[in-house]
Formats: sequence, C-alpha cells, structure tokens
Amino acid sequence: MAEKILDVKDLVVEFNTDRGGVTAVNGVNLEVFKGKTLGLVGESGSGKSVTALSIMRLIPTPPGNIAAGEIRFRDKNLLDIPLDNMRSIRGNKIAMIFQEPMTSLNPVFTVGNQIEEVLELHQKELSNAQRKEKAIEMLRLVGIPSPEQRIEEYPHQLSGGMRQRVMIAMSLACEPDLLIADEPTTALDVTIQAQILELMKKLQDELGMGILLITHDLGVVAETCDDVAVMYCGQIVETADVKTLFAHPQHPYTKGLIESIPSFDSTSGKVKDRLPTIEGMVPSLFNLPEGCNFQGRCQNVSEKCRGSAGEPKLETIATEHQVRCFHPLS
Amino acid sequence: MNIYTYIMRRLLYVIPVLLGVCAIVFVLFNLVSPDPTLIMLGKHASVKQMAELRAELGLDRPMLEQYFDIVKSAFTFDFGRSWTTKQEISEMIKAGAIPSLTVTLPAFVFSTILSIAISLLVAFYRGKAIDKVVVFACVALMSISSLAYILFGQYVFAFKLGLFEISGYDAGFPYFIPYVLLPILIIVIISVGPDVRFYRTVVLDEVYQDYVRTARAKGLGEKKILFKHVLKNALIPIITFVVIRIPFLILGALLIESFFSIPGLGGITLNAINSSDFPVIRAMTVLSAVAYIIFTVITDVLYTLVDPRVRLS
Repeated sequence: MAEKILDVKDLVVEFNTDRGGVTAVNGVNLEVFKGKTLGLVGESGSGKSVTALSIMRLIPTPPGNIAAGEIRFRDKNLLDIPLDNMRSIRGNKIAMIFQEPMTSLNPVFTVGNQIEEVLELHQKELSNAQRKEKAIEMLRLVGIPSPEQRIEEYPHQLSGGMRQRVMIAMSLACEPDLLIADEPTTALDVTIQAQILELMKKLQDELGMGILLITHDLGVVAETCDDVAVMYCGQIVETADVKTLFAHPQHPYTKGLIESIPSFDSTSGKVKDRLPTIEGMVPSLFNLPEGCNFQGRCQNVSEKCRGSAGEPKLETIATEHQVRCFHPLS
Repeated sequence: MNIYTYIMRRLLYVIPVLLGVCAIVFVLFNLVSPDPTLIMLGKHASVKQMAELRAELGLDRPMLEQYFDIVKSAFTFDFGRSWTTKQEISEMIKAGAIPSLTVTLPAFVFSTILSIAISLLVAFYRGKAIDKVVVFACVALMSISSLAYILFGQYVFAFKLGLFEISGYDAGFPYFIPYVLLPILIIVIISVGPDVRFYRTVVLDEVYQDYVRTARAKGLGEKKILFKHVLKNALIPIITFVVIRIPFLILGALLIESFFSIPGLGGITLNAINSSDFPVIRAMTVLSAVAYIIFTVITDVLYTLVDPRVRLS
C-alpha cells in the first residue's frame, strides 16, 4: 500500500451569501496516495473546486469558511497551522493548477520570472543563475520547445496549451508531494487535452507525486486516475478504484454519468444513436430535498429516498468501494 | 520596430491632430465669437474706428493667413502680443507658469502618492471597517464644494489661527513657500476623495483576477501580491489617469489662484476672459491642446514599457 499523503476527513465548507448560508461541501472524505491519482468528479456546483481550494486554504473568507473537518497532509492538519506555515507549503509541498490557463498567469511578467518566483520563495539557497537554469529545465521537462527563448516571453505570446504547460512547470518547480489539478484541460482543445494529461502522468511517474484531479469529464478519469470519488451537491456519493467504478457503478448518478460519455460501438463502428442524459437539474444548495439529494433525477426512487429514512449514508459495499444510496444498483 | 521609430511615428500622427485643433480654434475665435472690435470700442464706435482697429489688430488680413498664424504659434509658441497689456504673450506665459507650477506640481505629486497609498491600503483591507470608513470619508470630502475648503482654510487656518498666509505671492525660492502651503493643502484635500475612489476601483479590479489566485497558490504573501503582481497591472490604467493630468498643471488652478492672488496662468486666463483679450485666450487654448496631445503620446509610450501586450507595430 502506497504512503497516504492527503487525508481529508469530514470536511464542511459553508458560504454566507445574501440569500443565506449554504453548505457547499458537506462532510467530504478523500485520500490521496503517493504516486497515485484520485479523480474528483461531478457537475458544476457540486463542490469539487471548493474542496480543492479548501485543501490549499484559498477559500475566500468571508464569504466562505471551513466549518468543520480535518485536512491531514502527511502528519499535519492543515487547518490548524498558522497562515505563514501554510504559505511555505503552498507552491512547495502542495501545488495547484487551474482551469483557466489564459488568465492564471500574470500578463505583465515573463513566464521565466513567474517560475523563478516560486523557486525564490521556497528554495532560497539557489542563486539567480541557478534559478534561471532550473526554470529553463522545468520548461524543457513540460515539453516546451527552445525553453531558453520562451523563458523571456510573456503569457500572451503563448497558446493556451503552452500556458497550461507553463502552469504545470511552475507548480512542479519545487517537486511537490501533492498536485491539485482543477479541471486542467477543460479550457483546451481535445488534442492538447490528451497531451497535457499524458504529460501529467509522465511527470507523476518521474517525480512520484500524488495528484488530485478535478474534472467533470469521465473520459479524462478513465485515462488518468487510479481512484475516483463522485461528488453530488457537496457530498461524495460513490468512491472506488477506477476499474470497479466503470465496471460496476453502484450509484444511479455514477451510472448516468458513465452512460452519458459519447462512445462508438466498437463492433459496428457506429456512433450510438442517442446520447443518454441524466434528466432534471441539480437541486439548488439553498433548497435541498429531505432525504437523498438525487431523488428528483433518479429512476429507482422510493419512499425511503424521500426522507422517511433520513439521509442516505456512505456505506462500504465492498473493499474500497463506498456508495451513498438506499438502493445500490447491484 | 523599436521604441524610437514608434515615438517618431506617434509624433508624426500629432501633425494632422494639431492642424485640426488649430482649425477649431480658428473657427471659434474668428467666425463664431462676436466682433472683438465691437467689444473693445463699445457700441458707439464708428465704422471707421472699427476698421482702423481691425487693421491694427491684423484682423483684416486673409482668413487663411490668420489660420496659419495659429498653426505657426502651435509650433513656435510665439502668440503675438496681448491686446490689453501689449506684452509678448510668450513672456506672460513664462512669467505665469512658474507661480502656477509651484502650487499645482507639489499638490499633484502629494495627492497622487497619498491617494495611491491609501487605495492600496484599503484594497489590502477590502471589506473591512477601515475600507468602509475610507470610502465614506472620500464621498464626504467630494460632497463639499471646493469654495467651502478655500474659504474655511483662509478664514480658520490662515486668519484665525495664523498658520498660513491668507493670500499673496512672493517670487523666487524660498520666498514663495509660505504662500503656496495652504493652496497645496486645499488642492490635495479636494483631489484625494475622487482619486482614492478611482485608484481603489482599479486595484480591486485586479485583486479578483485569476493570476492573484495563482500567486496565492504559489505561497506568496498578500503584501508581495499587492505590491508586485497587482500594482504592476493596476499601473496601466493609473498611468493614463495620472499622465493626462500633467498638462493641466501648467495651466494652473483657476479658482485657487484667483482666491489666493497667485499671479499664475490661471489668473492670466481669467483676466483675459474678463477683458476679451482674444490672443491670450487663444494662446492658452492652443497651449493646452498642444500639451494635451504631447502627454497623450507620452502615455502611449509609457504603455509599451508597462504592458508587454501593447505591441509596437
């Protein structure tokens, strides 16, 4: 069993808004292991990004606040340490890349400058020349051609895919133990997506970091993840290793997500006639139903789901396979 | 294209703009405004007297010639003589510019630095009590008429408490200093309200950008983020706002100069307007247009230095 580097326990994150308080993340448990990738999947608004930002303690406070739970990184609870210590972990031990490569880099500094800034912050022993050399090396590592010239360029001179590579180079410059990737390929076109995912996989093999990959794309999960956690309305509804999840999804929501991946029929070579979708909408966090949050969209819904038995709990149904459903599929 | 060719090219663009400005000035003064000889001689003047005065002032010359006089003055700064004082206008401007600048320049520098500093501070504590207090104070400061500040300052600080000179001016350094302190203070107070509000908005626009989140995720502290990442981006709109105000410093502060009897360009302009001294008004108009155009070019050049996205081509 690989070493556990991140252990999120019963995380609760609340936001105060003009319309009242909402619980964006409600009792989430996650584990990320060294050299492994955990995929965190869910629709927009399911609390994936809030979970990720909480781990970095980057939730804007106010309006947000981490109300309960623990975020154990190796042996420390990140929620207990002073902000200064947290800063020395950010970008150093835990790094993060974001969905928006076009705007995530500062437009008025060269990419070299921005990579060197991380090194300056966390590896103070390096000289200026060493920092520059390391920045060039990182750009080469992420597959940017002629890095010696690119280092002098500004973000606007690079394409979206190149910028995301720069973000990866920047995040990996200090060889973090954990990389949080929040929809790193969503804003990129499909061929570039595949390149970036492959690159992350390759760098994971070389550097041995754990990755928390946030995505709404199960195709990406199938290609890159070892374990998967599916989120719905701020809660984890199913978690398993990637093979089990795709082969035997237990939660109707997971099944719906898998079925709505566009695919070819491999024997006939034809595209399936109609892409199945999950009917209905995600309920508003301001107005969650009694009982199961998925009841309004579920085909197997029963009286029990409508609140007579309270909320469904996350139950272990097989080793390393948990599901939050009163009527698991098999 | 390097920066020098860029500057040269921008300066060449200035020429048609200047010709256009001169045309507008010409139309305003020669075609739209009433006959100056009528104003100068009063309504009982004879036609002969008026014709003589027109010849004396050069108003009987061909239109095109008069237009090119204006164009020429925009390049040579030779604006002829004042109708009322008969002085060389360029000499009057030279004499008036220095008293004006002794008031407006320090006031501008202080208020700009103070406003940017305050706006960074409130951006740092955005949403907290200090931010709200400062925004409220700015609105309160802006809501009071500048006349109130002038009269209050002169009466309380200068007359009652004797902290400053009430009005007047003494040429030469350092004799002018006691006379300019109160006007400077008043200009700073008048400008700080709107300035802080503007700079605060600019800085807050940047604070919520994605690159700030990236900087935090790198482990940077809030101060470093604000002073390095945010400030350099915020400088782009700030530069426009600051640089474009510089030409108006030379032109002086009309109200302040007249209340404090400072013999600056503001006062000269005011007198010229009162006595229908067309060449002086025209000179000030042309001068401000030229200064404005030049500083617009300077702003554009500064952009290329601050914002790498502005291409030189």
